[in-house]
Amino acid sequence: MASSKRIGLAVVIALAALAVRANAQSASRGFAFERLSPSAAGAGWFVMDDLDIEDALGGALGLTLGYERNPVHAGALDIVSDAAGANVGGAVTYARWRFSLDFDTVFLATGQSGTVDGETFTAPSVNPSSHPDTIADPRAGIDVLVLGRPGDPLRIGAGAQLSAPNDSRASYTTDGTFRGAVRALIAGDVGRFTYAGHFGAQIRPLDGAVTPATPRGNELLFGLAGGARVPLAWRHWTAVVGAEIYGATAFRSTFESDATALEGLLSARLEEPAGRGRRIRLKLGAGGGIAHEFGAAEWRIVAGVEIFSRSSDASTARAFVK
Amino acid sequence: MMRVALLALVIACASARANAQAAPPAPHEDAAFDFMNLLSEHELHDLDDETWNAYGQFTYITSLKIPFRAPYTNANGATNSFGTEYERSFTSTFSLFFGVKLWRGAEAYIVPEVIAEHALSELRGLGGATENFELQKTGTTTPALYRSRLFLRQTFDLGGPTIARSSDPMQLGATVDSRRIVITAGNYSAIDVFDKNNVTWDPRQTFFDEAFMTHSSYDFPADARGYTYGVAAELYWDRWAVRFGRFSPPVEPNQQSNDLHFWSRYGDSIELEHDHTLFGQPGAVRFLGYRNHVRSGRFDDAITVFQADPRKNAGDCSAGVYNYNSGDFNAPDLCWVRKANVKYGIGINAEQYVAKDVGLFLRAMHSDGESEVDAFDSADSDLSFGAVAKGSLWNRPFDVTGIGLQLSAISKEHARYLAMGGIDNFVGDGALGRQGPEGVLDVFYSVNIKKALWLAADYQLIWNPAYNADRAGPFSIPGMKVHGEF
Repeated sequence: MASSKRIGLAVVIALAALAVRANAQSASRGFAFERLSPSAAGAGWFVMDDLDIEDALGGALGLTLGYERNPVHAGALDIVSDAAGANVGGAVTYARWRFSLDFDTVFLATGQSGTVDGETFTAPSVNPSSHPDTIADPRAGIDVLVLGRPGDPLRIGAGAQLSAPNDSRASYTTDGTFRGAVRALIAGDVGRFTYAGHFGAQIRPLDGAVTPATPRGNELLFGLAGGARVPLAWRHWTAVVGAEIYGATAFRSTFESDATALEGLLSARLEEPAGRGRRIRLKLGAGGGIAHEFGAAEWRIVAGVEIFSRSSDASTARAFVK
Repeated sequence: MMRVALLALVIACASARANAQAAPPAPHEDAAFDFMNLLSEHELHDLDDETWNAYGQFTYITSLKIPFRAPYTNANGATNSFGTEYERSFTSTFSLFFGVKLWRGAEAYIVPEVIAEHALSELRGLGGATENFELQKTGTTTPALYRSRLFLRQTFDLGGPTIARSSDPMQLGATVDSRRIVITAGNYSAIDVFDKNNVTWDPRQTFFDEAFMTHSSYDFPADARGYTYGVAAELYWDRWAVRFGRFSPPVEPNQQSNDLHFWSRYGDSIELEHDHTLFGQPGAVRFLGYRNHVRSGRFDDAITVFQADPRKNAGDCSAGVYNYNSGDFNAPDLCWVRKANVKYGIGINAEQYVAKDVGLFLRAMHSDGESEVDAFDSADSDLSFGAVAKGSLWNRPFDVTGIGLQLSAISKEHARYLAMGGIDNFVGDGALGRQGPEGVLDVFYSVNIKKALWLAADYQLIWNPAYNADRAGPFSIPGMKVHGEF
């Protein structure tokens, strides 16, 4: 457990170091526009985390594909009007901990160039031809289940993520700086009802307060998801039908309309029953901006597939440690 | 706890079973150290029937150029001469290989990779003998992360004896039929499928020089990093295999953007392979042909246009028209004549083991040489051969050593264009008095420090850089490499 504390302390120190630089400004245009940050592979929801982390060794691989319309606009200018991409993630869980890696690839990002309020915007021009091998900011995450067990009505956890800058700001896929996030996580299952939520902060050094539509430094993150489990006759699979609401607001302009993004997503997922070793989860979602500002898409569709495994035999994990 | 955390971070995924090693064509080594083997040893992964695997590698290569004398460098405003002064180049790469089984016979792979590099003479001045094969991936001294591969592979078994396919990077451990069809579609490198050679094997384990990675004159479609989009179909029938692939070329020669108009711009490759046993040792022979239909410039066209109108010279390439930035106003240039052209070549690739872990290799190819390099090396024909041995004979089975010689040459049209002061993307000294084949002799020894870590020394002797016998050299390029797999 002492090692666990050291890991946590290291993460906090790293994020604190980022926070010191949080007010730095950059004159160049372009930033990481994506507001749907997929949860770690195997975490159930598209954005929220089901905290279904067991003692035993487990892991997951996930692929999420998405398309969104008008995520970045300023005035009448749709700076990023169409965007599509994929997220490939992997995660390993053990002893209440989850370690994850995520790689985002943007296949398409186009929009309109122009001037708004004296600021000139150059739209991204990303397509598989012009950017055949783009990876946007890769993300490493660590989450821990602090309270509760899988299946409990109340599970509480915490998580931290660190994104490293990659690609170019002109593509609107990166801020060009490191970003970090810390979150408190909550989830539970009550009968057929399942829910999850998060609340935290994103440490975001990029602050373009004078420029419309651009990030304004550190952000408050929040989100909630709820749904019902529906047993299916087909191969004993389970469907989870529900909704996710997630958003972010800049601390310096908390909940002001032009600095707050809020999106809703109706989702359904199909889960293979437990007990077969490797399991598959298929996900489909559609939604859009409730507050269509600050990077929230006008509408979006997402689809995902997860392959995951959790060993309920803790002795297997102990054998691994030996 | 800390140990588990570190292991978990590297594994970065898990489902039920596991395997070992790193390097596309390399056979699986049960004794190699990697996390898939580790999981297997603890009965947490089945290496023989994988649902997923994850591997990684890192490689650092540095090369020194010993100064040499030449009567001229970058004559008449040319920009592509290999410099004569002392220089050091390096590459650092770090790759992760993830694979997952999707359904029966279907596998998906993704390979994120980081590269930082600095080439000798800014990667100019050598036709087929670039000192470090990793330099083809294009980068800067600042590390850049990119997706090198993202593809789907579907295998349809057709019967025959079964074959145990080892667990490796970009290959899930499985049992397949000796008769099968394999379709590979997505984003990868053409040489992931074509022109493999089990003796020269994984370049990260063997020769430093790019001349031994594939044919220098195999202008396989690729972006500036060596990857592309495409589809390849392979039919394996016992000891025979035939492959066909169509891949997207760059929009402009040697650039990063891909032209995805597969029906109007493309590169096709076809290969026939036969595996055999000679005196009890395995071997293989492959015949490879390629045909590119791409936007490029023909050397004769550039010369003709220049002779008809000297204003259409290398120094006057119009702004906005893709060109190689020559400053020679008295030389022809390909910028004036780029259009849809066809380029083709045919080659042979043979390997033969002569003892346990000792193999010989030979490659030879001839291309038409009428148009410029589109995606790989400035070479129109090549011949390479040599030997590679693992250290089994001297009780160091993970050591690797080898010696190889490669000669590359250009067509008469290409030589005439260079002699008039023209340049292409990689070569062009501004003059070409005496032409000669560019050659490289490469000798290396790779010491296995730990099972997953190698330290290698390499020596290259290169002559006639850019096919210019007036700047013959020869000159030496010693190098060092650190390579790790996990």
